[in-house]
Amino acid sequence: MLRITFTKVLNGAKLSPKHIYVATRAQSGEVKKPEKVEVFIDDKPVYVEPGTTVLQAAAMIGVEIPRFCYHERLAVAGNCRMCLVEVEKSPKPVAACAMPVMKGWRIKTDSEMTRKAREGIMEFLLVNHPLDCPICDQGGECDLQDQSMAFGSDRSRFTDIEFSGKRAVEDKDIGPLIKTIMTRCIHCTRCIRFASEVAGVDDLGTTGRGNDMQVGTYVEKLFMSELSGNIIDLCPVGALTSKPYSFTARPWEIRKVDSIDVLDAVGSNIIVSTRTGEVMRIVPRVNEEINEEWLADKSRFAYDGLKRQRLVTPMIRDCNGELKPVDWEAALLTVAKVIKNAGSQVGAIAGGLADAEVLVAVKDLLNKLGSEALCTEHTFPLDGSGTDLRSSYLLNNKIAGVEEADLVLLIGTNPRLEAPLLNSRLRKGWIHNELQVALIGPKVDLRYDYEHLGDDAKVLKEIVSGRHQFSSKLKSAKKPLIIVGSELLERADGAAVLSAVQTLAANTPSQDKDWKVLNILHKVASQVAAFDIGYTPGVDKIREGNLKALLLIGADEGAIDKSDLPQDCFVIYQGHHGDQGASIADAILPGAAYTEKQATYVNTEGRAQETLVAVTAPGRAREDWKIIRALSEIIGAKLPYDNLNEIRCRLEEVAPHLTRYGSAEEANYFKQAEQLAKKIKIQLDECTPIDVKIKELQDYFMTDAITRASPTMAKCVQAVLKQKQSKY
Amino acid sequence: MKRGDWYKTKEILLKGPDWIVNELKVSGLRGRGGAGFPTGMKWSFMNRPSDGRPRYLVVNADEGEPGTCKDREIMRHDPHKLVEGCLIAGKAIGAKAAYIYIRGEFYNEASNMQVAIAEAYQAGFLGKNACGSGYDFDVFMHRGAGAYICGEETALIESIEGKQGKPRLKPPFPADVGVFGCPTTVNNVETIAVAPTICRRGGTWFASFGRTRNSGTKLFNISGHVNRPCTVEEEMSIPLKELIQKHAGDVTGGWDNLLAIIPGGSSTPLIPKKVCEDAIMDFDGLVACQTSLGTAAIIVMDKSTDIVLAIARLLMFYKHESCGQCTPCREGVPWMNKMIYRFVDGNAKPEEIDMLWEISKQVEGHSICALADGAAWPVQGLIRHFRPELEERMRKFHEKQSASC
Amino acid sequence: MAKYFGIDRIFTFLKTIKETGGLKASLYKLYRMDSLRPGQLVGTDKYGNKYYENPHYFYGRNRWVEYAPYYGMDYDGSQVPAEWFGWLHYKTDLLPDKDPSRPKYKWMLDHTENLSGTPGQYMPYSTTLPKIEAWRPPAK
Repeated sequence: MLRITFTKVLNGAKLSPKHIYVATRAQSGEVKKPEKVEVFIDDKPVYVEPGTTVLQAAAMIGVEIPRFCYHERLAVAGNCRMCLVEVEKSPKPVAACAMPVMKGWRIKTDSEMTRKAREGIMEFLLVNHPLDCPICDQGGECDLQDQSMAFGSDRSRFTDIEFSGKRAVEDKDIGPLIKTIMTRCIHCTRCIRFASEVAGVDDLGTTGRGNDMQVGTYVEKLFMSELSGNIIDLCPVGALTSKPYSFTARPWEIRKVDSIDVLDAVGSNIIVSTRTGEVMRIVPRVNEEINEEWLADKSRFAYDGLKRQRLVTPMIRDCNGELKPVDWEAALLTVAKVIKNAGSQVGAIAGGLADAEVLVAVKDLLNKLGSEALCTEHTFPLDGSGTDLRSSYLLNNKIAGVEEADLVLLIGTNPRLEAPLLNSRLRKGWIHNELQVALIGPKVDLRYDYEHLGDDAKVLKEIVSGRHQFSSKLKSAKKPLIIVGSELLERADGAAVLSAVQTLAANTPSQDKDWKVLNILHKVASQVAAFDIGYTPGVDKIREGNLKALLLIGADEGAIDKSDLPQDCFVIYQGHHGDQGASIADAILPGAAYTEKQATYVNTEGRAQETLVAVTAPGRAREDWKIIRALSEIIGAKLPYDNLNEIRCRLEEVAPHLTRYGSAEEANYFKQAEQLAKKIKIQLDECTPIDVKIKELQDYFMTDAITRASPTMAKCVQAVLKQKQSKY
Repeated sequence: MKRGDWYKTKEILLKGPDWIVNELKVSGLRGRGGAGFPTGMKWSFMNRPSDGRPRYLVVNADEGEPGTCKDREIMRHDPHKLVEGCLIAGKAIGAKAAYIYIRGEFYNEASNMQVAIAEAYQAGFLGKNACGSGYDFDVFMHRGAGAYICGEETALIESIEGKQGKPRLKPPFPADVGVFGCPTTVNNVETIAVAPTICRRGGTWFASFGRTRNSGTKLFNISGHVNRPCTVEEEMSIPLKELIQKHAGDVTGGWDNLLAIIPGGSSTPLIPKKVCEDAIMDFDGLVACQTSLGTAAIIVMDKSTDIVLAIARLLMFYKHESCGQCTPCREGVPWMNKMIYRFVDGNAKPEEIDMLWEISKQVEGHSICALADGAAWPVQGLIRHFRPELEERMRKFHEKQSASC
Repeated sequence: MAKYFGIDRIFTFLKTIKETGGLKASLYKLYRMDSLRPGQLVGTDKYGNKYYENPHYFYGRNRWVEYAPYYGMDYDGSQVPAEWFGWLHYKTDLLPDKDPSRPKYKWMLDHTENLSGTPGQYMPYSTTLPKIEAWRPPAK
């Protein structure tokens, strides 16, 4: 098994100490604590583990060494030479990013020689770099700009500009998301390394040599990755910039607001940049436990969907059957009258983008009215322990924990497109940790090798009973993980699947006591919070109950249709996008999208996080829970909270972890869940093959109301389809 | 093809790796590829206990340095010396196989080598139980695609692996992580070819030639403005003047017609006539003259030479052959190339000579491999010894220009 | 004699009131225009503004306009048409109808007052796209 990357692992000193640690562990089979060595950085002593690079050692005592090509999460290339530092008794300066420290080294990060070397490199980088900073999108957040200010010479001596000028390189078209201005490229190869190591798409590379070297795809093609946007952040200069963002804003004029992404269930941390009350772009925020510093393309580029197809004013269906804009007063009065008349015959369906505040407000309101018909749009098995025990619907072992696993069994999921950042963790484990992956479900491209066990439900049954060849592997694994896609559990026999998996997980031993084998991967952001608050999965209740009024809270996936409801049922849609839900509604109450409200979301591992207000909601749209609160007063069942603090207190009453932002609440009662699961009567349907909806990249981009409204996402789909027809 | 090759090879092999390495240490053989690293020491790095990975010997036959043609001679006329050397070196380092990375342009030489390897296999010298010593050893040929940079050991390793020939970062050295991630020793053809002789005749015999630390014999290539360009094997530490007069039939037009000599292949700084008078051809002797032995390819230039254009042409070569991986070489060398071509015409200001000197210093020693050094040194040699010539040209150019205005 | 005691001013005042049309009208005029002075009506423009002159006052105060009654209190300088503007501001002493050199072409536009701040004001249409594109319900 000679993976290309395996050689890189063996390439100990080229990698960070963690990788070396992994490599040595892989070889010796046991962990030895190596003795620390003492080095001096600018005469300050520091104790580091052997194998630490000079750059890392310097970072430990807060000395930052300039760099272009080095990046913590990528392999070391050492080709920009910006990090050259002087080491006493060494005739040549050494590249700090690649050189492991030796005992007693005296490193000088600010000596004459070091400064001279940096200045020289800076000069060389600028020789062929165009001075188009005023029209460059990177201007203001450009590493080259900053470092040439800090370390470069204060004047130019590039006399050859009068004779032969600078190099110019043709731009490349690598898709609708990334704009390339290749003349600006300084050949740090970060993008290439990201593509081949993290994204697993070996599309980028260098062609030509010497001064004619170019970074590109060789033949013009789309950079087909769901993580492609990250190379924009990685690029230290303006060679790779965001196409939708190009020429729209400058970094010093935008406001940055920390927030959470809700377009998948991972809950990536993001920074929303706004200017003049408009979302200009979304970039990732570092969170080692969730997204590291990457962000999936959908989360990064779908923000233009927030500006289209918005519900900006309340609407009521008039006598002609047309939705007509009305003011809030009229809308609330009409809706309140309907709900009041409906009494307890009122229901609610929560969609994938609903936040915890509105969920709890709606639940309180309906409960006050005597209704229990509170459902989520995406279903989940109710038999056995159902959603009563958290352990049966969480990604229990946490996203970061995936890296440590040595064997992962994926059942009925395509993590690459359902949770790209979880998949990047899996791939990381596969590269650095000898992680083995097996998959039950349709054969999809995960960008790493896995054992495909077939898409038959029978396979699952065989593994559970221990008859399958894979069972022994699972038994002998030190840290096995089972990740089940929530979509699989939406099947009619979902309860049986869940029970089978719970049994399997209980029978799979792991060496670590705190290791959790069973993991459920959700697809939408609201699901876990809805279960925590006590919503019923699935819309069966709505279909059965003879409802007079139905409240859709951003439910747009078409789980329920007019034909499922009684003729006189009044449908109220509350949400931010005009989509499937709004078109069947009799009344529309415009709500706020995730960039426009301070709201709580719980991701698939059970971690509560909050979004912050980046821009105000457009037109007459209001924060969702406030609408419900106002409505409740008119109905005459006033909810007892008037501000965010008070509703958060209510959230805390329902489930305390919902307001413990940032930390993931551990689930418990695995055994009980498994025992309860044994009691279910539904049999595993062996005839239906296990399937996932999102199989290929073109299915990934448009999955919810926001992304369906986004022109950029539509372009992505077109580009992928076009690329699929190309022969390259 | 029996010129004393394959004589008692089995006995040498049976004496074991330690003996071979020790013999080479005694001989004081220094690597013949240009850097002059002691070979015995290099081989002894491989003597660590195995961790399960196989070891490899890689022979660097990618002889691309302008002016150098020593390895070509060996492979063309004495391929068996190299094949036998591979076997002995392989035994010394415990290698499983040897890869001979031969320059793509050496088509005939590659054919000769292939024939020699085939002959050796047929005679049972190679393959399973090589020479009947119980040691399994294979030799493979790999033809390069004509990139100078692939003569750098790590770039060569990358190239063998099928990747772009771009030097790797060191450390880890090839002795740790080389071809296919396994410990590897990379040696020049001449180094390997001389090893059997050393083993047969003893390290002390070899050490008796030349000065201490510069012992042995060496192939010298003499080209350029001499009456009889040739490749000769001579004792180390021979005076430069004697070497040229004895073997190459003196400089054209007599010794006094000499302008400058590049003593060790294109990447070493040139030395003008007055330094040539008493230069001694060995590693330390030439370092004393602010140049180096390199591959011992002597390029002689008489007074008819346009010395600036000659160096400019060399720079053009380095610019073309730079792999483009790291900044100083990718950006610095083309810049120097542009400047020096202006110097050829004199279209520059005298201050720019200092600037060129500084830039060459900025390039030197800041890159991953030594190609950038090799590009910087000829320029430095030129400025060191021919600065008045450059200034004169600039003066003339500006005079002409102001006259034409 | 009467002049010596300033009684003539009373006469002038009474005469002015009479000319204006009685006490009530005078009070209204005083309220509307902050002044009440006698003058000779020299002309009326087509909008109904009346132009007065009284050479008795010193130069600069001896010509004035009384805006048409329907303006009420909402009068302003831009309601004086161009042809009277010159006379009112002493650019010329000739009345508009007596000025032979005054051009009169068919294409000359009718005078309009300044409509800024009124519903009739000019508003350039926006060339920027709205930041938010609202959803329009599908027509049945």
